[in-house]
Amino acid sequence: MSTKAKPVEIRNLEMTFVTKQGENVRALEPINLEIAPGEFVALVGPSGCGKSTLLNILAGFIKPTGGEALIGAEPIIRPDIDHGMVFQDYALFPWLSVINNVAFGLERKRFAKAVRTKIALEFLELVGLRDFAQKRPSELSGGMKQRVAIARVFATDPSIIFMDEPFGALDALTRRFLQHQLLEIWQKHKKTIIFVTHSVQEAIYLANRIVVMTARPGRVKSDQQIDLSYPREFTQEKFRTYEKLIYDQLDEELAKTFDFESKGVFRE
Amino acid sequence: MITGADRVLPYIYAFIAIVLVWQIVVVFSGAHVAILPPPSLAAKTFLELVSNGELFRHISASLSRVIIAWLIGAAIAVPMGLAMGRSAAVERILDPVVELFRPISPLAWIPLAILWFGISEAGKIFIIFIATFFPIVLNTVSGVKNVDPVLIRAGQVLGCNDDATLFLKVILPAALPSIIVGFRISFGTGWAAIIAAELVAAQSGLGYMIADGMEILRSDMVLVGMVVIGILGVLIDTVFRIILRHYSWT
Repeated sequence: MSTKAKPVEIRNLEMTFVTKQGENVRALEPINLEIAPGEFVALVGPSGCGKSTLLNILAGFIKPTGGEALIGAEPIIRPDIDHGMVFQDYALFPWLSVINNVAFGLERKRFAKAVRTKIALEFLELVGLRDFAQKRPSELSGGMKQRVAIARVFATDPSIIFMDEPFGALDALTRRFLQHQLLEIWQKHKKTIIFVTHSVQEAIYLANRIVVMTARPGRVKSDQQIDLSYPREFTQEKFRTYEKLIYDQLDEELAKTFDFESKGVFRE
Repeated sequence: MITGADRVLPYIYAFIAIVLVWQIVVVFSGAHVAILPPPSLAAKTFLELVSNGELFRHISASLSRVIIAWLIGAAIAVPMGLAMGRSAAVERILDPVVELFRPISPLAWIPLAILWFGISEAGKIFIIFIATFFPIVLNTVSGVKNVDPVLIRAGQVLGCNDDATLFLKVILPAALPSIIVGFRISFGTGWAAIIAAELVAAQSGLGYMIADGMEILRSDMVLVGMVVIGILGVLIDTVFRIILRHYSWT
């Protein structure tokens, strides 16, 4: 019934930005990654490491300066409704009611109105917001907004979903609740998910694979399978072991970042 | 909770204060009644103009001019603002034109309006049109340019595959509150321009009533005209504010 999850293939993908001053800034060194259909991959790395850049390239918002990325064996040309995205700041359309936000993509996919309403309500039910269908986004809390955004992306039944620090702006409790909810939905509607986060805990809690990126320019530092059954607990011993492993790698990168910065200061 | 009374009362107090000051000035200056009539005379004149229908004739003449001019202004300014907001090339060409014309007061257009349109209705509408045009252009441009880029991206990943769909489904609704603010401001500037527009060869309108009152030394008529312009201006603005409240979703 639902769309088949798609694989992602990233080959020698690189990105160099040109700043307004005309300087070249290298954001991504050649990256190679293969992601299987239905995998939940977390991208973690120090800030500015290019993980959001990578996500924006995969979503089709920006063009890489080298290499290529394929989704379902096809090159990415532009944003596509089959490649969903959840943004950190929710990106709900404030002029539309909650249900019309969820139905937005369905309307673009030319579903009949009755079908749109039915599907939208189904997914609002899934995130526990059926009673808020007629509200405006401005009447909702941050956590509720992000649940609407999650319902909106799953409702269009994409084969892959990109999530750019979706829970970054939420408080710890709301975050925990949404992580749990996201896992349930993912297990029900198996999609490939690429999830950018700052939080190591979040990455281990959610993903079955964690890709750690180096400090700018971003490269793949490590690629780690998480062999833990769901639902996971932060207190599990194996969870702790993974946490230490990933933190050690991140600490190395952070040390480099500080090193860079302090050298920069000395030079001035 | 702000009730209707909370909104209206300040205006009533202000009105009473103005009338009081007016009365005090009349008493202490000892000005001739033709120079500064007391509020009571203005009120009497007001009732006369209401009962003989003159006032409503003037109000409807002015109001219909402003509405026509404002509709023409919106019909040109909105598409122009949308194009300028969306296309850097269009903005580079049109922005200097807009900025050069904008400081020129509608009053300055009176001579040309007479030359071009004679003493017809069109000349008056033209002057009000000038007054309504720029606020709509500027607010439309800023509305379109300030659409949150993340909403545009959200529209793109949710199936707005071409520029036209993205524009209709995301950019236009996102810019709408700002465009409506432009409508509101421009109706106000247009309403204020009726004096300029009806200064020349008009037979009706509140501006005409004021100009006529000056010529026949009826400052009571002048004052009634001014008060009515003020009150109607506030009422119209209130209507726009109610509409805007409906469209402000933040």
